[in-house]
Amino acid sequence: MRCGIGIEARQVNELFINIDPIQAGGRLTADAMKAVIAYGDGYSVCDNCRKPNRLDYISKPPIAEFHRDVAAWLNMDAVRTVPGARRGFQAVANTYVMKGDPVLLTSLSHYTEFLAIEETGGVAREIPVGSDNKVTADATAMKIEEVLQEFGKVPVLSFIDHIDYQYGNMHDVKAIAKVAHHYDIPILYNGAYTVGILPVDGKDLGVDFVVGSGHKSMAAPAPSGVLAATQERAAEVFRTTAIEGDVTKRKFGIKEPEMMGCTLMGATLVGMMASFPQVKERVKHFDRELENNRMVLEALLSVSGTKVLSEYPRNHTLTRVDTIASFDTVAESHKKRGFYFSSALEEKGIVGVIPGATKVWKFNTYGATTKQAAVLADAFVTIATENGLPLTT
Amino acid sequence: MTFQALYTLTDLRVIFRETAPQHSLDEIQRAQAQRLLDNLERQVASLKQEMLK
Repeated sequence: MRCGIGIEARQVNELFINIDPIQAGGRLTADAMKAVIAYGDGYSVCDNCRKPNRLDYISKPPIAEFHRDVAAWLNMDAVRTVPGARRGFQAVANTYVMKGDPVLLTSLSHYTEFLAIEETGGVAREIPVGSDNKVTADATAMKIEEVLQEFGKVPVLSFIDHIDYQYGNMHDVKAIAKVAHHYDIPILYNGAYTVGILPVDGKDLGVDFVVGSGHKSMAAPAPSGVLAATQERAAEVFRTTAIEGDVTKRKFGIKEPEMMGCTLMGATLVGMMASFPQVKERVKHFDRELENNRMVLEALLSVSGTKVLSEYPRNHTLTRVDTIASFDTVAESHKKRGFYFSSALEEKGIVGVIPGATKVWKFNTYGATTKQAAVLADAFVTIATENGLPLTT
Repeated sequence: MTFQALYTLTDLRVIFRETAPQHSLDEIQRAQAQRLLDNLERQVASLKQEMLK
């Protein structure tokens, strides 16, 4: 079935259990799908835009109320919607980083944080992780001291991912933020894998900014996200325009340069808004998600030789495993080589593992029903036994 | 009227998602699907009546 010339209708989530590590939390709710149908037209949210003509002031649909609700939910003072978490990183980096300034991130930071720094001419300095692939407050303090020695000043900004994309490990943001603030360094909390998945309280964490991803973790269409700030930082990042045309003498009211005037529009925004009530509710039940993840991991670990590379027991459903001594041993002699594994999974109605990957790979069980988690667990064990891999008792 | 049938189909779509890959519906899901399909038939009948009168 096609939805345009050459565009096949996508039915991945209707036909399969999708364990793609980055897709799990962004699947739309029914309400978001309905919102996308109704608000697909380009300027669909602008019918009732009135002075002062800024998108986050529109009350019908209730965009202004949504902004207030998200700020309260994250326990921050101000929120803007952005086209993806990366645009949140970019807005903050543009505000604080000048050419040659050192900026702190971690050796597990997402690449878009690096790009946000690069665009400003800043210099990236990474806090190294320990052997457990965790970022600590002590390592943060040591790195800041190193930067101070190297640059003669402390980093002008720091990024910390609460859950990193590589291992899905949870890092001690609260302790790290305390260290950063000891040196008067503003701290940006990257909640791409937490905002919309776990409860997040920005004030309790002691961070200056909270960035979330709509399409990764808030059941919203792409590209979407949120940038939240404390009152003090909001005045800086969400400053209003001061520019004036020399010929026309035009000024641009309360538009915000970092937001390029109006923020997220149309189906992306209304999709995120439509999912929000369910998103607020689902973060309270993350324990169920971890239970499903545990069921699947236990099945994987029952295949002799399989290792969990993420912290264990798990604090998040995004998980990295090492199957070099289990599923990969089959790849050596299988006629499909490493592709046998994803192919066997697909035959059992499971997608999302990178085709060909049998050594180290990631998956995410978030959003699977308990029944689907059981299907997943059974599939891994069945593929192992079908291929003669021993199971631990 | 424009959206009712589309939204009912959307609710059915979600059932497909929740029951993938086998799509074996439990009693609650079966009852829900039945209700949605009945609604859909009524909504399509209304559309026919309104648009083709």
